[in-house]
Amino acid sequence: MTALLSTNEVVVRFGVLQAVSQASIEVHAGRVTGLIGPNGAGKTTCFNVITGLQEPTSGKVLLEGVDITGKSPSKRARLGIARTFQKLEVFGSLSARENIMVAAEQRRSWDKSGFDPRAVTDEILEKVGIADVSEFMVGTLPTGTARLVELARALATNPRLLLLDEASSGLTEEETEEMAALLRRLVAEDGLGILLVEHDMSFVMGICEYIYVLDFGRVIASGTPAEVQANPTVQAAYLGTDATEDAS
Amino acid sequence: MPLKFSPRLISALVVALIVAFVVHSNWGTASVSGQTIATFLVVGIALGGIYAISAAGLVVTYATTGIFNFAQAAIGCFLAFCYWQLTVKWGLPTLLSIAITLLIIAPAIGIALDRVIMRRLRDAALVVQLMVTVGLMLTFMGITLTIWTPKSPRSVPHFFEGTKGVHLGDVVATWHRIITVVIALLVAVALRFLLYRTRLGISMRAVVDSRSLAGLTGAKSSVISGASWSLGCMTAGLAGILIAPETGLVVENLALVIVVAAAAAAIAQLKSLPMVFVGGLIIGLSEAFSSVYLNFGTDWNYAPQAIPCVILFVALLFLPQARLETGKVRLTKRTERLTKPWEAALGGGVMIALVGAWANGWIPWFSGTTFGERSAVWLGRGVGFLIFGLIMLSLVPLIGWAGQVSFANFAIAGIGAVLFSHFGGQNGSPIGILFVMMVCAPLGLLIALPALRLKGLYLALATLAFAEFTDKVIVRHPKMIDPSATGVLFKPLDIFGIHISSDAADRKAFVIFLIVMFAILFFMLELMRRSRWARRWIAMSDSPAASATIGINLTTTKMAVFMLSGAMAGFAGCMLGLSQGALRVDSFPMFLGLPLVLLLAVQGVRYPVAAFMGLVGLASFPALSEVMGNPTWLTQVSLIGPGIAAVAMAYRPEGAVFYTGRDLAGLLPWRADAREEKALLDQRTRDQDIGRDDINDLGIDRPFTSEKVAQLDRVLSIADAVDEHPMVPTTGVTA
Ligand SMILES: Nc1ncnc2c1ncn2[C@@H]1O[C@H](COP(=O)(O)OP(=O)(O)OP(=O)(O)O)[C@@H](O)[C@H]1O
Ligand SMILES: [Mg+2]
Repeated sequence: MTALLSTNEVVVRFGVLQAVSQASIEVHAGRVTGLIGPNGAGKTTCFNVITGLQEPTSGKVLLEGVDITGKSPSKRARLGIARTFQKLEVFGSLSARENIMVAAEQRRSWDKSGFDPRAVTDEILEKVGIADVSEFMVGTLPTGTARLVELARALATNPRLLLLDEASSGLTEEETEEMAALLRRLVAEDGLGILLVEHDMSFVMGICEYIYVLDFGRVIASGTPAEVQANPTVQAAYLGTDATEDAS
Repeated sequence: MPLKFSPRLISALVVALIVAFVVHSNWGTASVSGQTIATFLVVGIALGGIYAISAAGLVVTYATTGIFNFAQAAIGCFLAFCYWQLTVKWGLPTLLSIAITLLIIAPAIGIALDRVIMRRLRDAALVVQLMVTVGLMLTFMGITLTIWTPKSPRSVPHFFEGTKGVHLGDVVATWHRIITVVIALLVAVALRFLLYRTRLGISMRAVVDSRSLAGLTGAKSSVISGASWSLGCMTAGLAGILIAPETGLVVENLALVIVVAAAAAAIAQLKSLPMVFVGGLIIGLSEAFSSVYLNFGTDWNYAPQAIPCVILFVALLFLPQARLETGKVRLTKRTERLTKPWEAALGGGVMIALVGAWANGWIPWFSGTTFGERSAVWLGRGVGFLIFGLIMLSLVPLIGWAGQVSFANFAIAGIGAVLFSHFGGQNGSPIGILFVMMVCAPLGLLIALPALRLKGLYLALATLAFAEFTDKVIVRHPKMIDPSATGVLFKPLDIFGIHISSDAADRKAFVIFLIVMFAILFFMLELMRRSRWARRWIAMSDSPAASATIGINLTTTKMAVFMLSGAMAGFAGCMLGLSQGALRVDSFPMFLGLPLVLLLAVQGVRYPVAAFMGLVGLASFPALSEVMGNPTWLTQVSLIGPGIAAVAMAYRPEGAVFYTGRDLAGLLPWRADAREEKALLDQRTRDQDIGRDDINDLGIDRPFTSEKVAQLDRVLSIADAVDEHPMVPTTGVTA
């Protein structure tokens, strides 16, 4: 089975700094894949490469085996890639409903199934659990809620592949539980492939079926949560970075 | 990689061909001899040096504070007048006057600006940042005009005027020019030294990208920004003093240097100081070349003045594409609810009722004044204000929603007026209006095209250049406006048997027609705000990166809003032509369009109703003046006032309409939601304001090693730039 998404030896260089070094990862439909690593490991940069916001210095991005490396971010959205951002990128002067509506309306330009953007919006508002704040301008919402708006917006494009950058940061414990349940449902019921960047280890270990560990831009380990946790290289990479991890 | 360079190569070839063609077809009588070449070089290098000084200040302030100072040249103009006052009027020695101007007044202005205004702008929206400095520009121009009323001509003497200068072959290089070049070189070296060799300078470079990073260097951010604004003002003043003898001590001429400085800064991509000097030289030499060798003939009389604009445009073509940046979203704590269609309709109705009642004399106020009695003059003014209102309305979707700051719409309206005088205007046919709108829509797009792929600031620069280009080249050609033509160019427009024209008898109908059109457009925009188009524009403006990742094609989305805005400006242009009857070549100067954008921004650029408030504000100055018996102080206020109002935006960035709406919506009986929301919001801002980081807390003193410098350079991604300029040693840079 070809992977939903695979990156092929992706390298990203910023001047002298190698942010990502020959990272090859795979994301399969119907399961949550984790991408973890200390601060500055290159996780967000990987996301940017996958969504087309950052051109890789070398390497390829394949969606179901098709090379999409040169495609623009908006084309990739059409192909079914959606994401959230580590630092909020919500449309702050639109209401939560409008945030989702923009995405749902945009989907009409490639998805000709004749759906009603309004209905889709309402449905997603319910699904993500933000229907009660739908009329507030997102700029006035607390960070955790705004993060959910971003997730809802990503879902409104009806993606096959969902990239979540620090999905649970800013959420309360309760909200994190709900988020985990939601992600499980998305994967099980809608067959989405999810790639998750996360610092909350219990969250990651609880939800991911497969995990990649990135350090200094390299994939230093990969495997099931149990395998990764047992890996000495991973422990070494994390041990030295306790302080920075807390700071994030 | 070769494939990636080819579009640039093609553009370069095309530009070269066009330049060759223009040069060839306008070749003057001068022959290329040693003498002319020497003249060309002497004049060009001196000019280029002055431009570079001004542009260098612009780049330094931009690079260290993130704010592009449109007031740079206007401040230079003010300082040049100060210098004149000291040396010519009061007879102080030249050097002393220069010292007072540049070492006392200029830094004082810089520090005051930084303290009072600029620090508040650091995290403001681009629109607000630009508008505040444009407001400052108009304020400084206004202040200068008020203090030094342009009744008698003034001139600043050249340095060592009356002495011979130095002979270079057959050409005399005056001491003034030689000093200019030497000063430019000194400024270049000094800035370079300051920014790369001193602790303050390196902190200045660090501060723009990351305030915490600047903390690493051990400098206080207040010192840094104060220093960079002072530096900006000093270079501005120096350039002003040097160029005043060449252009004459005229406010407009001196303030226009901003276009040149912007062009040089664009060539430098707003960051590279060496390239600023290259840019300045390119412009100075081009101007000198054209004045020595070219003769544009009467048709293109003013074309040489547009050289900086053209160079700016060309520079934009060659700038690298901007990355879609993430992490730059500012979340304003602003609540607002969409206007309901019936509320918009009501609003439009109130506008028609108000203006209609005034035009018909149903409002009994101010009788006894020509304003109250609605003389033909006042009805004519009313027409003018309404047209300005239409232009402001055309900016709402463009600037307010899509976040594309454009200064070109007044120029587009001017071109619309000219086009209408050729097509349709002469036989009173409304079809001509449609035609003009159809031309102006793609025109709006064309102006934006070079800047579409660049940062928003470049669009503002491009549109500013276009406004200047329109004034100096497009409408000056006799095919566009024939200066010898006399009489009225437009037949009255015939709408359902009602005549609309500049004729005194038709003016009341004109006013009513315009307010009805205004109300209709207002209503349509309010409806549009609820549509997917407006949502998409706002989304794009709030976060381009997120918009792209949900599938929005940024280029086509931008194109659509430019077309809409251009078409609306075109309509306003037809009305402008019709209302003026005859067109004069000097009716569309760049400086006339700026206050419109400002006024709208002050009122609240996101809201269509702001255009109405703007036109009321515009009308209120002459109306008040009339009612109060024309006091002179009011004239002075009207010169400076709009600028001051724009500066006030630093404190009230969302615009008057927003704050009024927020505070007063609760008074409307059906707005219980507004009352609740306000209470909620007040509570929340109280909670959130506690614990905001204070920018002055950043002065952490840490060792300042070459390692830290290297780290700074890397994070600011100037490491590459340093490699390209080996004259700067990368090692051993310690404080
Ligand atoms: N546009 C850029 N220019 C220069 N350097 C960059 C840029 N973007 C990221 N970097 C650098 O690349 C490295 C990887 O950054 P990235 O944001 O991908 O890390 P991350 O794994 O997401 O870290 P975090 O856990 O803090 O989010 C960092 O050292 C960062 O400073
Ligand atoms: Mg990250």
